[in-house]
Amino acid sequence: MPAITVDSLTKSYGQTLALSELSFEVQEGEVFGFLGPNGAGKSTTINLLLDFIRPTAGHVEVLGMDAQTHSRDIRARTGVLPEGVEPYDRLTAREHLEFAIESKNTRDDPEALLKRVGLLDAIDTKAGGYSKGMSQRLMLAMALVGEPDLLILDEPSTGLDPNGAREMRRIVTQENERGATVFFSSHIMEQVEAVCDRVGILRDGEMVAIDSVEGLRDSVTDGESLRITVDRIEDDALHAVRSLPDVSDAVVEGENPPRIVVQVDGSKTAVLGELEERGIEVEDFSTTEASLDDVFQSYTADREVTAR
Amino acid sequence: MSTETGTTTASGSPSSSINLESIRAIAKKDFQDSFRSWVFWGLSIFFFTLLVASTGIISYFEGDLIAAEGATTVVLIDQVRGLTQLVIPLIALILGWKSVAGERESGSIKILLSLPHSRTDVLIGKLIGRSAVLAVSLTVGFALAAVVVAALIGSFDVGDYLGLLVVSILYGVAYTSLAIAASSMTRSTTIAGAAIFGIFVLFYIIWDTIVTAIYLLMIFDYLPDNETMAQVVLFFQSLDPGTAYATVLSLATSVAEMDDQTVAALEAMFDTVPFYLTDWFALVVLLFWIVVPMAIAIIRFDRTDL
Repeated sequence: MPAITVDSLTKSYGQTLALSELSFEVQEGEVFGFLGPNGAGKSTTINLLLDFIRPTAGHVEVLGMDAQTHSRDIRARTGVLPEGVEPYDRLTAREHLEFAIESKNTRDDPEALLKRVGLLDAIDTKAGGYSKGMSQRLMLAMALVGEPDLLILDEPSTGLDPNGAREMRRIVTQENERGATVFFSSHIMEQVEAVCDRVGILRDGEMVAIDSVEGLRDSVTDGESLRITVDRIEDDALHAVRSLPDVSDAVVEGENPPRIVVQVDGSKTAVLGELEERGIEVEDFSTTEASLDDVFQSYTADREVTAR
Repeated sequence: MSTETGTTTASGSPSSSINLESIRAIAKKDFQDSFRSWVFWGLSIFFFTLLVASTGIISYFEGDLIAAEGATTVVLIDQVRGLTQLVIPLIALILGWKSVAGERESGSIKILLSLPHSRTDVLIGKLIGRSAVLAVSLTVGFALAAVVVAALIGSFDVGDYLGLLVVSILYGVAYTSLAIAASSMTRSTTIAGAAIFGIFVLFYIIWDTIVTAIYLLMIFDYLPDNETMAQVVLFFQSLDPGTAYATVLSLATSVAEMDDQTVAALEAMFDTVPFYLTDWFALVVLLFWIVVPMAIAIIRFDRTDL
């Protein structure tokens, strides 16, 4: 059974179309990365999953229940980290968690939860004095109350330093291993790459790609990027490299030191040989697999290049 | 999880349903949140000062005279009522102003509604939480002042004093309900503030102005000066929460709302005192102002995009 089913979901605000016929499914037990630039409609989708807003058209099911008529039951089994929300200034971390525990009618221990997110030191400090990262940790702890079947995390890395972001990803993995489905939105590919089984890329209210991390990588570039540092760059040489059979593209990446990036699917030596033949000295070179970030860029920045 | 009582109660219920556990949790959180602010203690001290100052004035200027008649508490209540009738609405409106709009503006309403609460739970929980802030600060102020009041004026009627407290709380809840209803209609605390100000103007200025205007029109013969018209005006006037507060006080305390002359005049005009001028009807009016704004807010809030 899918944990989330979104079917032809449309949401418009007057003339503005926030989501257009969006459809996707998140399977039970998977970690799903919901990726897209700011303003793509990620938060709108999450707001619809949680019945914060109502759809213009279409249908949403969460944990097998209608998102509108059974919202309370859904939220009883869901842990949510809402985006960009300030905690209550005058309440301590402990009081925030007590509120969540009472609300969900569970027997969690506030201290254990705060220890897990690394906020135990601030348990009796009022949230008014928290940094962004501390607030985010508190919100994550609240989301974990009651061992939810589904975790909906909206931009969970906001305000976290790299170390905090790594801890957050570790918790996501732990929760997933426990059996929870995780729906995780972000505008940074790097955040979802490490933990997600599948990734959906949203752009202007439409899902432009949805696949496993490997699948997405393959869909954009075959082969590798060859980064070559040379002593100088000549247009003729660049043209010659581009016309090699295995090369799909070659661009200048920097002038100091002169560096070119070549997309190659086959012999790298042919590329290097071509340059040497033209009297250009190769000082250094490295190869990289197409990063998922390149994939994300290609989907969200210039869609006309990318096949849908 | 599904064996827990809370989830069992909620299971299969539509999103607009009411869950008492949820309401309790929200009210408690809301009260905790307000309790920590300066507002709560400021209010307690304010009510304390109000009572003590009123008592001081009474005992200084007319203490002996009234004490001789043995009705000091009655005089005190009458005097305090004049102030609380104006001040409690202001306090309740300010307390309720940001209750919902503020949480929508900052986004923290998503914390409430990410948990298994319905929107109706949130509004009712807020009403109880904010009303509790007002009620507890009134009670603390009254309790502290009681000692001073009892010392300053010899005869102290506990029943009347409690009556004033209870009716004042009820009056405050009515305005809290109005304020929360206004606050739930918008995502902007500025617009909510304007609506709250509108409520204030409505009951402090417009209501009385309408009553006066109709009286004047009757006197100058633009409106028929007959019993029906008089009934309409008196009925309209009786719907004002402030009027209802004053009337209900006479039900809960030994303060007479109408003196014998007024009653006689009314009886001469309408045969009996009309039902809408009775104490019981005034109590219904106060309850009306608690229930109706909340009911409208609940229906609207349930349909809106947060």
